Amino acid sequence: MMKIENLVKLYKDVRALDGLSLEVKPGQVYGFLGPNGAGKSTTILSTLGLIFPQEGRIELFGLEVFRDGKFNEENLVEAKRQIGYMPEHATLWDFMTPVQTLDVIGEAFEIPKAEREKRVRELLELVNLWDDRNRKVGKFSKGMRQRLLLAQALINDPELLILDEPMTGLDPTGIAEFKDIIREQKKVGKTVFFSSHILAHVEEICDTVGVIVKGKLRVEDNLERIKREFLKRGGYTIILETNVPVDFTGAEWKVSPLGEKKYRIVAPEDIREQLHDFVSARGAKILTMQVKEPSLEEIFLKMVE
Amino acid sequence: MFWGFRLEFKQSLRTKKLWVILGVMMLLYLPGFYLQKASGEEIETVQQAVSILINNVNGLGGFFIAILALLMGATAINSEIEKGTLRVAMSKPIKRLSYIGGKFLAHTVVVLMALLLTTLVGIVGLAWLGAPMGSQLVTDSLLLNGLLLLAMVQLVALGYIISTFIKSSSTALGVALVVMFVVFMIMPAIVQFVAAKDTLLSENPDWEAYQEKSEEYKTKYLFYVPTTQIDVIVSDATVVKGDVTNPSVEYVGIGHAIKSNLANLFNLVFLTLVYLAIAFYRFLRMDLR
Repeated sequence: MMKIENLVKLYKDVRALDGLSLEVKPGQVYGFLGPNGAGKSTTILSTLGLIFPQEGRIELFGLEVFRDGKFNEENLVEAKRQIGYMPEHATLWDFMTPVQTLDVIGEAFEIPKAEREKRVRELLELVNLWDDRNRKVGKFSKGMRQRLLLAQALINDPELLILDEPMTGLDPTGIAEFKDIIREQKKVGKTVFFSSHILAHVEEICDTVGVIVKGKLRVEDNLERIKREFLKRGGYTIILETNVPVDFTGAEWKVSPLGEKKYRIVAPEDIREQLHDFVSARGAKILTMQVKEPSLEEIFLKMVE
Repeated sequence: MFWGFRLEFKQSLRTKKLWVILGVMMLLYLPGFYLQKASGEEIETVQQAVSILINNVNGLGGFFIAILALLMGATAINSEIEKGTLRVAMSKPIKRLSYIGGKFLAHTVVVLMALLLTTLVGIVGLAWLGAPMGSQLVTDSLLLNGLLLLAMVQLVALGYIISTFIKSSSTALGVALVVMFVVFMIMPAIVQFVAAKDTLLSENPDWEAYQEKSEEYKTKYLFYVPTTQIDVIVSDATVVKGDVTNPSVEYVGIGHAIKSNLANLFNLVFLTLVYLAIAFYRFLRMDLR
Protein backbone atom coordinates (compact mmCIF):
# COMPACT_ATOMS: atom_id res chain seq x y z
CA MET A 1 0.00 0.00 0.00
CA MET A 2 2.83 2.39 0.87
CA LYS A 3 6.39 1.56 0.03
CA ILE A 4 9.38 3.78 0.57
CA GLU A 5 12.81 2.77 -0.71
CA ASN A 6 16.14 4.42 0.08
CA LEU A 7 14.67 7.86 0.54
CA VAL A 8 17.19 10.64 1.01
CA LYS A 9 16.29 14.18 1.96
CA LEU A 10 18.87 16.84 2.63
CA TYR A 11 18.15 20.18 4.26
CA LYS A 12 21.34 21.98 3.27
CA ASP A 13 23.97 19.83 5.00
CA VAL A 14 21.61 17.95 7.29
CA ARG A 15 20.54 14.47 6.17
CA ALA A 16 16.95 14.45 7.42
CA LEU A 17 16.31 11.13 5.68
CA ASP A 18 19.29 8.90 5.16
CA GLY A 19 18.27 6.05 2.89
CA LEU A 20 14.98 5.36 4.64
CA SER A 21 13.02 2.31 3.55
CA LEU A 22 9.74 1.09 4.96
CA GLU A 23 6.60 -0.69 3.90
CA VAL A 24 3.05 -0.35 5.14
CA LYS A 25 0.78 -3.24 4.22
CA PRO A 26 -2.99 -3.07 3.75
CA GLY A 27 -4.94 -3.25 6.99
CA GLN A 28 -1.98 -2.41 9.21
CA VAL A 29 -1.97 0.17 11.96
CA TYR A 30 1.61 1.26 11.64
CA GLY A 31 3.17 3.32 14.41
CA PHE A 32 6.04 5.47 13.22
CA LEU A 33 8.18 6.26 16.19
CA GLY A 34 11.16 8.46 16.64
CA PRO A 35 12.58 11.23 18.78
CA ASN A 36 12.04 14.85 17.76
CA GLY A 37 13.94 15.67 14.59
CA ALA A 38 14.35 12.02 13.60
CA GLY A 39 12.64 12.56 10.24
CA LYS A 40 9.05 11.44 10.91
CA SER A 41 7.32 14.49 9.46
CA THR A 42 9.82 14.68 6.60
CA THR A 43 8.91 11.10 5.66
CA ILE A 44 5.20 11.88 5.71
CA LEU A 45 5.55 15.14 3.78
CA SER A 46 7.69 13.39 1.17
CA THR A 47 5.09 10.67 0.76
CA LEU A 48 2.42 13.27 0.05
CA GLY A 49 4.58 15.21 -2.39
CA LEU A 50 4.76 18.22 -0.11
CA ILE A 51 8.54 18.19 0.01
CA PHE A 52 11.06 17.02 -2.54
CA PRO A 53 13.49 14.29 -1.49
CA GLN A 54 16.71 14.07 -3.47
CA GLU A 55 16.83 10.30 -3.96
CA GLY A 56 14.79 7.17 -3.53
CA ARG A 57 11.45 5.80 -4.55
CA ILE A 58 7.90 6.06 -3.20
CA GLU A 59 5.02 3.84 -4.19
CA LEU A 60 1.42 4.36 -3.13
CA PHE A 61 -1.35 1.87 -3.96
CA GLY A 62 0.98 0.27 -6.49
CA LEU A 63 1.55 3.58 -8.29
CA GLU A 64 5.06 4.94 -8.48
CA VAL A 65 4.68 8.52 -7.27
CA PHE A 66 8.34 9.43 -6.83
CA ARG A 67 11.62 8.25 -8.26
CA ASP A 68 15.07 9.85 -8.07
CA GLY A 69 14.14 13.43 -7.43
CA LYS A 70 10.95 13.60 -9.49
CA PHE A 71 7.32 13.22 -8.59
CA ASN A 72 4.87 11.72 -11.05
CA GLU A 73 2.09 14.22 -10.43
CA GLU A 74 -0.61 12.23 -12.22
CA ASN A 75 0.06 9.19 -10.05
CA LEU A 76 0.40 11.32 -6.95
CA VAL A 77 -2.96 12.99 -7.46
CA GLU A 78 -4.54 9.61 -8.17
CA ALA A 79 -3.06 8.13 -5.00
CA LYS A 80 -4.11 11.12 -2.90
CA ARG A 81 -7.73 10.41 -3.73
CA GLN A 82 -7.47 7.45 -1.38
CA ILE A 83 -5.42 9.15 1.33
CA GLY A 84 -6.52 11.11 4.38
CA TYR A 85 -3.86 13.24 6.00
CA MET A 86 -3.84 14.99 9.33
CA PRO A 87 -0.84 17.31 9.67
CA GLU A 88 1.03 18.24 12.80
CA HIS A 89 0.90 21.88 14.00
CA ALA A 90 -1.70 23.01 11.51
CA THR A 91 -4.82 25.08 11.68
CA LEU A 92 -7.63 25.22 9.21
CA TRP A 93 -9.14 28.32 7.67
CA ASP A 94 -10.10 30.52 10.62
CA PHE A 95 -12.94 32.30 8.86
CA MET A 96 -14.84 29.12 8.06
CA THR A 97 -17.17 27.06 10.20
CA PRO A 98 -16.51 23.30 10.56
CA VAL A 99 -19.31 22.60 8.09
CA GLN A 100 -17.80 24.97 5.50
CA THR A 101 -14.33 23.55 6.09
CA LEU A 102 -15.34 19.95 5.53
CA ASP A 103 -17.50 20.98 2.58
CA VAL A 104 -14.53 22.71 0.90
CA ILE A 105 -12.28 19.71 1.53
CA GLY A 106 -15.01 17.42 0.20
CA GLU A 107 -15.15 19.53 -2.97
CA ALA A 108 -11.44 18.87 -3.52
CA PHE A 109 -12.29 15.17 -3.69
CA GLU A 110 -15.19 15.92 -6.04
CA ILE A 111 -17.67 14.29 -3.68
CA PRO A 112 -21.23 15.06 -4.89
CA LYS A 113 -23.03 17.74 -2.85
CA ALA A 114 -25.70 15.51 -1.30
CA GLU A 115 -23.17 12.90 -0.28
CA ARG A 116 -20.88 15.61 1.02
CA GLU A 117 -23.57 17.03 3.27
CA LYS A 118 -24.28 13.60 4.70
CA ARG A 119 -20.60 12.88 5.25
CA VAL A 120 -19.98 16.27 6.88
CA ARG A 121 -22.70 15.61 9.44
CA GLU A 122 -21.46 12.06 10.14
CA LEU A 123 -17.91 13.23 10.68
CA LEU A 124 -18.78 16.21 12.85
CA GLU A 125 -20.84 13.90 15.02
CA LEU A 126 -17.99 11.41 15.11
CA VAL A 127 -15.51 14.00 16.39
CA ASN A 128 -18.09 15.67 18.65
CA LEU A 129 -18.16 18.98 16.84
CA TRP A 130 -21.73 18.91 15.54
CA ASP A 131 -22.96 21.26 18.26
CA ASP A 132 -20.22 23.72 17.25
CA ARG A 133 -20.89 23.39 13.54
CA ASN A 134 -21.77 27.06 13.08
CA ARG A 135 -18.91 28.54 15.08
CA LYS A 136 -15.89 29.92 13.29
CA VAL A 137 -12.83 27.69 13.45
CA GLY A 138 -10.82 30.73 14.58
CA LYS A 139 -12.66 30.58 17.91
CA PHE A 140 -11.88 26.89 18.46
CA SER A 141 -9.60 25.51 21.17
CA LYS A 142 -6.52 23.49 20.23
CA GLY A 143 -8.32 20.24 20.98
CA MET A 144 -11.31 21.18 18.83
CA ARG A 145 -9.00 22.10 15.95
CA GLN A 146 -7.29 18.72 16.25
CA ARG A 147 -10.64 16.97 16.08
CA LEU A 148 -11.61 18.96 13.02
CA LEU A 149 -8.27 18.12 11.42
CA LEU A 150 -9.04 14.46 11.98
CA ALA A 151 -12.51 14.89 10.50
CA GLN A 152 -11.12 16.52 7.35
CA ALA A 153 -8.70 13.62 6.97
CA LEU A 154 -11.65 11.21 6.94
CA ILE A 155 -13.89 13.13 4.50
CA ASN A 156 -13.03 10.90 1.52
CA ASP A 157 -13.33 7.67 3.54
CA PRO A 158 -9.65 7.03 2.81
CA GLU A 159 -8.03 3.65 2.38
CA LEU A 160 -4.85 5.01 3.94
CA LEU A 161 -4.97 7.40 6.84
CA ILE A 162 -1.72 9.27 7.50
CA LEU A 163 -1.59 11.03 10.84
CA ASP A 164 1.32 13.18 11.99
CA GLU A 165 1.48 13.38 15.81
CA PRO A 166 -2.31 13.30 15.91
CA MET A 167 -2.86 13.27 19.65
CA THR A 168 -0.96 16.46 20.44
CA GLY A 169 -3.26 18.88 22.21
CA LEU A 170 -6.04 16.40 22.93
CA ASP A 171 -7.35 15.91 26.46
CA PRO A 172 -7.63 12.35 27.88
CA THR A 173 -11.23 12.00 26.67
CA GLY A 174 -10.21 13.22 23.24
CA ILE A 175 -7.31 10.75 23.15
CA ALA A 176 -9.60 7.88 24.12
CA GLU A 177 -12.12 8.88 21.43
CA PHE A 178 -9.33 9.23 18.95
CA LYS A 179 -8.03 5.74 19.68
CA ASP A 180 -11.54 4.38 19.23
CA ILE A 181 -11.71 6.00 15.81
CA ILE A 182 -8.40 4.40 14.80
CA ARG A 183 -9.58 1.01 16.04
CA GLU A 184 -12.80 1.47 14.09
CA GLN A 185 -10.78 2.24 10.95
CA LYS A 186 -8.77 -0.93 11.46
CA LYS A 187 -11.92 -2.95 12.02
CA VAL A 188 -13.31 -1.90 8.63
CA GLY A 189 -10.04 -2.85 6.94
CA LYS A 190 -8.45 0.60 6.55
CA THR A 191 -4.73 1.19 6.86
CA VAL A 192 -3.40 3.70 9.34
CA PHE A 193 0.10 5.15 9.40
CA PHE A 194 0.77 7.45 12.26
CA SER A 195 3.78 9.11 13.74
CA SER A 196 4.17 9.78 17.40
CA HIS A 197 6.73 10.20 20.10
CA ILE A 198 4.22 9.18 22.77
CA LEU A 199 5.00 5.51 23.04
CA ALA A 200 2.03 4.48 25.14
CA HIS A 201 -0.32 5.51 22.33
CA VAL A 202 1.59 3.51 19.77
CA GLU A 203 1.84 0.46 22.01
CA GLU A 204 -1.88 0.49 22.59
CA ILE A 205 -3.21 0.74 19.06
CA CYS A 206 -0.50 -0.28 16.60
CA ASP A 207 0.23 -3.75 15.37
CA THR A 208 3.40 -2.78 13.52
CA VAL A 209 6.04 -0.35 14.62
CA GLY A 210 8.85 1.37 12.77
CA VAL A 211 11.47 3.28 14.70
CA ILE A 212 13.31 6.05 12.88
CA VAL A 213 16.47 7.57 14.29
CA LYS A 214 18.52 10.19 12.44
CA GLY A 215 16.70 9.55 9.20
CA LYS A 216 17.19 5.80 9.22
CA LEU A 217 14.77 3.06 10.13
CA ARG A 218 16.30 1.19 13.07
CA VAL A 219 13.62 -1.47 13.25
CA GLU A 220 10.35 -2.31 11.57
CA ASP A 221 8.35 -5.24 12.80
CA ASN A 222 5.37 -6.60 14.63
CA LEU A 223 5.33 -5.23 18.17
CA GLU A 224 5.46 -8.67 19.81
CA ARG A 225 8.41 -9.75 17.72
CA ILE A 226 10.27 -6.54 18.53
CA LYS A 227 9.81 -7.26 22.21
CA ARG A 228 10.94 -10.90 21.87
CA GLU A 229 13.99 -9.79 19.92
CA PHE A 230 14.78 -7.21 22.53
CA LEU A 231 14.51 -9.84 25.28
CA LYS A 232 16.82 -12.13 23.32
CA ARG A 233 19.37 -9.36 22.94
CA GLY A 234 19.74 -8.98 26.67
CA GLY A 235 16.81 -7.08 27.89
CA TYR A 236 15.81 -9.58 30.63
CA THR A 237 14.79 -8.02 33.89
CA ILE A 238 13.78 -10.38 36.70
CA ILE A 239 12.22 -9.33 39.96
CA LEU A 240 13.13 -11.95 42.53
CA GLU A 241 11.84 -12.48 46.06
CA THR A 242 13.50 -14.99 48.41
CA ASN A 243 12.73 -16.35 51.90
CA VAL A 244 16.07 -15.18 53.31
CA PRO A 245 18.59 -12.58 52.14
CA VAL A 246 20.94 -13.88 49.44
CA ASP A 247 24.54 -12.84 48.87
CA PHE A 248 24.93 -12.31 45.14
CA THR A 249 28.69 -11.77 45.30
CA GLY A 250 30.30 -13.52 42.35
CA ALA A 251 27.16 -13.53 40.23
CA GLU A 252 27.62 -12.60 36.58
CA TRP A 253 24.46 -10.55 36.45
CA LYS A 254 23.66 -7.01 37.44
CA VAL A 255 21.80 -7.15 40.76
CA SER A 256 20.19 -4.27 42.58
CA PRO A 257 18.39 -4.78 45.88
CA LEU A 258 14.77 -3.61 46.03
CA GLY A 259 14.37 -4.58 49.72
CA GLU A 260 15.90 -6.94 52.28
CA LYS A 261 14.86 -10.06 50.34
CA LYS A 262 13.83 -8.56 46.98
CA TYR A 263 16.15 -8.00 44.02
CA ARG A 264 16.11 -6.67 40.45
CA ILE A 265 18.36 -8.76 38.24
CA VAL A 266 19.26 -7.76 34.71
CA ALA A 267 20.86 -10.42 32.55
CA PRO A 268 21.77 -10.75 28.89
CA GLU A 269 19.65 -13.92 28.47
CA ASP A 270 16.98 -16.01 30.11
CA ILE A 271 18.69 -17.04 33.39
CA ARG A 272 15.72 -18.36 35.29
CA GLU A 273 17.18 -21.87 35.67
CA GLN A 274 20.66 -20.66 36.64
CA LEU A 275 19.10 -18.27 39.09
CA HIS A 276 17.19 -21.09 40.73
CA ASP A 277 20.40 -23.10 41.13
CA PHE A 278 22.34 -20.06 42.39
CA VAL A 279 19.77 -19.27 45.09
CA SER A 280 19.41 -22.96 46.18
CA ALA A 281 23.21 -23.29 46.43
CA ARG A 282 23.12 -20.46 49.00
CA GLY A 283 20.47 -22.21 51.11
CA ALA A 284 17.62 -19.93 50.10
CA LYS A 285 14.31 -20.46 48.39
CA ILE A 286 12.66 -18.41 45.66
CA LEU A 287 9.26 -17.19 46.76
CA THR A 288 8.35 -15.28 43.60
CA MET A 289 10.12 -14.70 40.31
CA GLN A 290 8.72 -12.28 37.82
CA VAL A 291 10.16 -11.72 34.38
CA LYS A 292 9.46 -8.12 33.51
CA GLU A 293 8.72 -7.49 29.83
CA PRO A 294 10.29 -4.36 28.49
CA SER A 295 7.89 -1.57 27.65
CA LEU A 296 8.04 -0.06 24.22
CA GLU A 297 9.54 2.98 25.87
CA GLU A 298 12.49 0.94 27.15
CA ILE A 299 13.03 -0.61 23.73
CA PHE A 300 12.71 2.77 22.09
CA LEU A 301 15.23 4.40 24.41
CA LYS A 302 17.66 1.55 23.89
CA MET A 303 17.36 1.94 20.12
CA VAL A 304 17.76 5.66 20.20
CA GLU A 305 20.92 5.23 22.28
CA MET B 1 -7.98 25.33 -10.58
CA PHE B 2 -11.44 26.48 -9.52
CA TRP B 3 -11.09 24.81 -6.12
CA GLY B 4 -8.02 26.92 -5.38
CA PHE B 5 -9.75 29.98 -6.83
CA ARG B 6 -12.90 29.65 -4.70
CA LEU B 7 -10.90 29.01 -1.55
CA GLU B 8 -8.55 31.94 -2.07
CA PHE B 9 -11.32 34.28 -3.20
CA LYS B 10 -13.30 33.68 -0.02
CA GLN B 11 -10.15 34.06 2.01
CA SER B 12 -9.00 37.27 0.32
CA LEU B 13 -12.35 38.96 0.80
CA ARG B 14 -12.01 38.35 4.52
CA THR B 15 -8.54 39.78 4.97
CA LYS B 16 -8.20 42.96 7.00
CA LYS B 17 -5.54 44.25 4.57
CA LEU B 18 -8.12 44.58 1.80
CA TRP B 19 -10.70 46.48 3.77
CA VAL B 20 -8.26 48.73 5.62
CA ILE B 21 -6.55 49.81 2.39
CA LEU B 22 -9.85 50.32 0.57
CA GLY B 23 -11.21 52.21 3.58
CA VAL B 24 -8.22 54.57 3.70
CA MET B 25 -8.48 55.12 -0.05
CA MET B 26 -12.15 56.04 0.19
CA LEU B 27 -11.44 58.39 3.07
CA LEU B 28 -9.03 60.26 0.82
CA TYR B 29 -11.34 60.10 -2.20
CA LEU B 30 -14.34 61.76 -0.66
CA PRO B 31 -12.68 64.99 0.56
CA GLY B 32 -11.19 65.35 -2.94
CA PHE B 33 -14.66 65.63 -4.44
CA TYR B 34 -15.76 67.95 -1.68
CA LEU B 35 -12.82 70.28 -2.37
CA GLN B 36 -13.54 70.16 -6.09
CA LYS B 37 -17.11 71.22 -5.46
CA ALA B 38 -16.06 73.90 -2.94
CA SER B 39 -13.68 75.43 -5.52
CA GLY B 40 -16.70 76.21 -7.70
CA GLU B 41 -14.93 75.03 -10.87
CA GLU B 42 -17.45 73.61 -13.31
CA ILE B 43 -16.79 70.42 -15.26
CA GLU B 44 -18.18 71.34 -18.63
CA THR B 45 -17.26 68.53 -21.01
CA VAL B 46 -17.19 64.75 -20.94
CA GLN B 47 -13.48 64.91 -21.76
CA GLN B 48 -12.85 66.99 -18.67
CA ALA B 49 -14.80 64.53 -16.58
CA VAL B 50 -12.84 61.59 -17.99
CA SER B 51 -9.60 63.40 -17.36
CA ILE B 52 -10.53 63.97 -13.70
CA LEU B 53 -11.65 60.38 -13.32
CA ILE B 54 -8.39 59.09 -14.78
CA ASN B 55 -6.35 61.26 -12.44
CA ASN B 56 -8.32 60.08 -9.44
CA VAL B 57 -8.34 56.40 -10.28
CA ASN B 58 -4.73 56.35 -11.41
CA GLY B 59 -3.53 58.48 -8.51
CA LEU B 60 -5.41 56.89 -5.65
CA GLY B 61 -5.97 53.40 -7.01
CA GLY B 62 -2.52 53.25 -8.53
CA PHE B 63 -1.02 53.87 -5.12
CA PHE B 64 -3.29 52.14 -2.61
CA ILE B 65 -4.28 49.15 -4.71
CA ALA B 66 -0.63 48.76 -5.69
CA ILE B 67 0.23 48.41 -1.99
CA LEU B 68 -2.64 45.98 -1.55
CA ALA B 69 -1.56 43.89 -4.55
CA LEU B 70 2.06 43.65 -3.44
CA LEU B 71 1.21 42.85 0.17
CA MET B 72 -1.41 40.30 -0.83
CA GLY B 73 1.10 38.57 -3.08
CA ALA B 74 3.94 38.76 -0.56
CA THR B 75 2.00 36.75 2.02
CA ALA B 76 0.12 34.47 -0.35
CA ILE B 77 2.19 31.31 0.11
CA ASN B 78 4.35 31.76 3.20
CA SER B 79 1.48 32.66 5.53
CA GLU B 80 -0.33 29.51 4.43
CA ILE B 81 2.76 27.45 5.12
CA GLU B 82 3.03 29.03 8.56
CA LYS B 83 -0.59 28.27 9.38
CA GLY B 84 -0.42 24.80 7.91
CA THR B 85 -3.43 25.32 5.65
CA LEU B 86 -1.27 24.80 2.56
CA ARG B 87 -0.24 21.35 3.80
CA VAL B 88 -3.90 20.48 4.25
CA ALA B 89 -4.83 21.82 0.82
CA MET B 90 -1.94 20.21 -1.03
CA SER B 91 -2.50 16.84 0.60
CA LYS B 92 -5.73 16.65 -1.39
CA PRO B 93 -5.86 15.49 -5.02
CA ILE B 94 -4.96 18.91 -6.38
CA LYS B 95 -2.06 19.68 -8.68
CA ARG B 96 0.34 22.38 -7.53
CA LEU B 97 0.00 24.33 -10.75
CA SER B 98 -3.77 24.37 -10.61
CA TYR B 99 -3.69 25.42 -6.96
CA ILE B 100 -1.36 28.37 -7.45
CA GLY B 101 -3.11 29.25 -10.71
CA GLY B 102 -6.44 29.38 -8.91
CA LYS B 103 -4.97 31.38 -6.07
CA PHE B 104 -3.45 33.89 -8.48
CA LEU B 105 -6.70 34.20 -10.40
CA ALA B 106 -8.54 34.91 -7.15
CA HIS B 107 -6.08 37.66 -6.26
CA THR B 108 -6.49 39.12 -9.74
CA VAL B 109 -10.27 39.20 -9.34
CA VAL B 110 -9.99 40.83 -5.91
CA VAL B 111 -7.69 43.52 -7.33
CA LEU B 112 -10.06 44.05 -10.26
CA MET B 113 -12.96 44.44 -7.86
CA ALA B 114 -11.00 47.03 -5.88
CA LEU B 115 -10.24 48.92 -9.10
CA LEU B 116 -13.84 48.81 -10.26
CA LEU B 117 -15.00 50.00 -6.86
CA THR B 118 -12.57 52.91 -7.10
CA THR B 119 -13.84 53.75 -10.58
CA LEU B 120 -17.45 53.46 -9.49
CA VAL B 121 -16.92 55.81 -6.57
CA GLY B 122 -15.13 58.15 -8.98
CA ILE B 123 -18.08 58.15 -11.40
CA VAL B 124 -20.58 58.66 -8.59
CA GLY B 125 -18.45 61.57 -7.37
CA LEU B 126 -18.42 63.11 -10.83
CA ALA B 127 -22.18 62.77 -11.08
CA TRP B 128 -22.46 64.48 -7.70
CA LEU B 129 -20.31 67.31 -9.05
CA GLY B 130 -22.74 67.63 -11.94
CA ALA B 131 -20.23 66.55 -14.59
CA PRO B 132 -21.64 65.56 -17.98
CA MET B 133 -21.63 61.80 -18.58
CA GLY B 134 -20.95 60.14 -21.91
CA SER B 135 -19.95 56.87 -23.51
CA GLN B 136 -16.27 57.91 -23.50
CA LEU B 137 -16.39 57.96 -19.73
CA VAL B 138 -17.30 54.28 -19.74
CA THR B 139 -14.93 53.15 -22.49
CA ASP B 140 -11.94 55.08 -21.19
CA SER B 141 -12.49 54.10 -17.58
CA LEU B 142 -12.68 50.46 -18.72
CA LEU B 143 -9.45 50.84 -20.68
CA LEU B 144 -7.79 52.49 -17.71
CA ASN B 145 -8.98 49.69 -15.44
CA GLY B 146 -7.55 47.16 -17.85
CA LEU B 147 -4.20 48.94 -17.80
CA LEU B 148 -4.17 49.30 -14.05
CA LEU B 149 -5.15 45.66 -13.69
CA LEU B 150 -2.08 44.69 -15.70
CA ALA B 151 0.09 46.77 -13.41
CA MET B 152 -1.52 45.33 -10.28
CA VAL B 153 -1.22 41.78 -11.57
CA GLN B 154 2.48 42.42 -12.07
CA LEU B 155 2.72 43.52 -8.46
CA VAL B 156 0.82 40.47 -7.24
CA ALA B 157 3.25 38.32 -9.24
CA LEU B 158 6.21 40.19 -7.74
CA GLY B 159 4.66 39.57 -4.33
CA TYR B 160 4.39 35.85 -5.13
CA ILE B 161 8.12 35.76 -5.83
CA ILE B 162 8.77 37.34 -2.42
CA SER B 163 6.31 34.93 -0.84
CA THR B 164 7.94 31.84 -2.30
CA PHE B 165 11.47 32.88 -1.41
CA ILE B 166 10.91 34.31 2.09
CA LYS B 167 9.48 31.83 4.53
CA SER B 168 8.34 34.21 7.24
CA SER B 169 5.26 36.19 6.25
CA SER B 170 6.14 39.09 8.53
CA THR B 171 9.65 39.35 7.01
CA ALA B 172 8.06 39.14 3.56
CA LEU B 173 5.73 42.02 4.44
CA GLY B 174 8.74 44.08 5.50
CA VAL B 175 10.61 43.24 2.31
CA ALA B 176 7.55 44.12 0.22
CA LEU B 177 7.30 47.51 1.90
CA VAL B 178 11.01 48.17 1.34
CA VAL B 179 10.62 47.15 -2.33
CA MET B 180 7.63 49.45 -2.57
CA PHE B 181 9.57 52.33 -1.05
CA VAL B 182 12.78 51.85 -3.03
CA VAL B 183 11.36 50.83 -6.40
CA PHE B 184 8.25 52.96 -6.43
CA MET B 185 9.45 56.11 -4.72
CA ILE B 186 13.22 56.39 -4.61
CA MET B 187 14.05 55.06 -8.09
CA PRO B 188 11.49 57.25 -9.89
CA ALA B 189 12.74 60.28 -7.96
CA ILE B 190 16.33 59.56 -9.03
CA VAL B 191 15.33 59.07 -12.66
CA GLN B 192 13.27 62.26 -12.62
CA PHE B 193 16.22 64.13 -11.16
CA VAL B 194 18.58 62.82 -13.84
CA ALA B 195 16.09 63.86 -16.52
CA ALA B 196 15.74 67.31 -14.95
CA LYS B 197 19.48 67.78 -14.49
CA ASP B 198 20.20 68.25 -18.18
CA THR B 199 16.99 70.07 -19.05
CA LEU B 200 15.29 72.02 -16.28
CA LEU B 201 18.28 72.59 -14.00
CA SER B 202 20.49 74.00 -16.73
CA GLU B 203 21.05 77.66 -17.55
CA ASN B 204 18.24 77.58 -20.11
CA PRO B 205 15.44 75.47 -18.63
CA ASP B 206 13.57 73.60 -21.35
CA TRP B 207 10.25 72.14 -20.18
CA GLU B 208 9.52 70.27 -23.42
CA ALA B 209 12.96 68.68 -23.46
CA TYR B 210 12.43 67.63 -19.86
CA GLN B 211 9.08 66.04 -20.72
CA GLU B 212 10.65 64.07 -23.53
CA LYS B 213 13.68 63.01 -21.52
CA SER B 214 11.55 62.08 -18.54
CA GLU B 215 9.31 59.85 -20.66
CA GLU B 216 12.31 58.26 -22.34
CA TYR B 217 14.10 57.57 -19.04
CA LYS B 218 10.94 56.22 -17.40
CA THR B 219 10.53 53.72 -20.21
CA LYS B 220 14.21 52.74 -20.24
CA TYR B 221 15.20 52.82 -16.59
CA LEU B 222 11.92 52.30 -14.76
CA PHE B 223 10.59 49.47 -16.91
CA TYR B 224 10.18 47.41 -13.72
CA VAL B 225 7.88 49.97 -12.05
CA PRO B 226 4.40 49.19 -13.39
CA THR B 227 2.76 52.29 -11.96
CA THR B 228 5.33 54.48 -13.73
CA GLN B 229 4.64 52.68 -17.00
CA ILE B 230 0.95 53.45 -16.51
CA ASP B 231 1.78 57.10 -15.78
CA VAL B 232 3.74 57.32 -19.02
CA ILE B 233 0.82 55.89 -20.99
CA VAL B 234 -1.88 57.90 -19.23
CA SER B 235 0.05 61.17 -19.57
CA ASP B 236 -0.47 60.91 -23.33
CA ALA B 237 -4.24 60.82 -22.93
CA THR B 238 -4.06 64.61 -22.93
CA VAL B 239 -2.07 66.76 -25.29
CA VAL B 240 -1.13 70.39 -24.94
CA LYS B 241 -1.82 72.42 -28.04
CA GLY B 242 -1.26 76.02 -28.99
CA ASP B 243 1.75 78.14 -28.09
CA VAL B 244 3.35 78.90 -24.75
CA THR B 245 1.35 82.08 -24.28
CA ASN B 246 -1.98 80.45 -25.05
CA PRO B 247 -1.82 76.72 -24.35
CA SER B 248 -4.88 74.50 -24.51
CA VAL B 249 -5.13 71.03 -23.02
CA GLU B 250 -7.00 68.55 -25.15
CA TYR B 251 -8.13 65.12 -24.05
CA VAL B 252 -7.43 62.54 -26.76
CA GLY B 253 -8.33 59.36 -24.89
CA ILE B 254 -6.73 56.32 -23.29
CA GLY B 255 -6.96 54.32 -26.51
CA HIS B 256 -4.80 56.87 -28.27
CA ALA B 257 -2.40 56.95 -25.34
CA ILE B 258 -1.97 53.17 -25.42
CA LYS B 259 -1.29 53.20 -29.16
CA SER B 260 1.37 55.86 -28.67
CA ASN B 261 3.14 53.92 -25.90
CA LEU B 262 3.29 50.31 -26.98
CA ALA B 263 6.78 49.90 -25.48
CA ASN B 264 5.38 50.66 -22.03
CA LEU B 265 2.51 48.25 -22.58
CA PHE B 266 5.06 45.63 -23.60
CA ASN B 267 7.04 46.30 -20.41
CA LEU B 268 3.91 45.70 -18.38
CA VAL B 269 2.94 42.46 -20.10
CA PHE B 270 6.41 41.00 -20.48
CA LEU B 271 7.54 41.57 -16.90
CA THR B 272 4.26 40.22 -15.56
CA LEU B 273 4.84 37.01 -17.48
CA VAL B 274 8.45 36.81 -16.30
CA TYR B 275 7.48 37.34 -12.64
CA LEU B 276 4.70 34.80 -12.92
CA ALA B 277 6.99 32.25 -14.50
CA ILE B 278 9.54 32.68 -11.68
CA ALA B 279 6.94 32.53 -8.92
CA PHE B 280 5.10 29.53 -10.37
CA TYR B 281 8.30 27.63 -11.11
CA ARG B 282 9.50 28.24 -7.57
CA PHE B 283 6.17 27.09 -6.10
CA LEU B 284 6.21 23.93 -8.18
CA ARG B 285 9.65 23.01 -6.82
CA MET B 286 9.51 24.24 -3.24
CA ASP B 287 9.21 22.29 -0.01
CA LEU B 288 5.92 23.15 1.65
CA ARG B 289 7.14 22.91 5.23
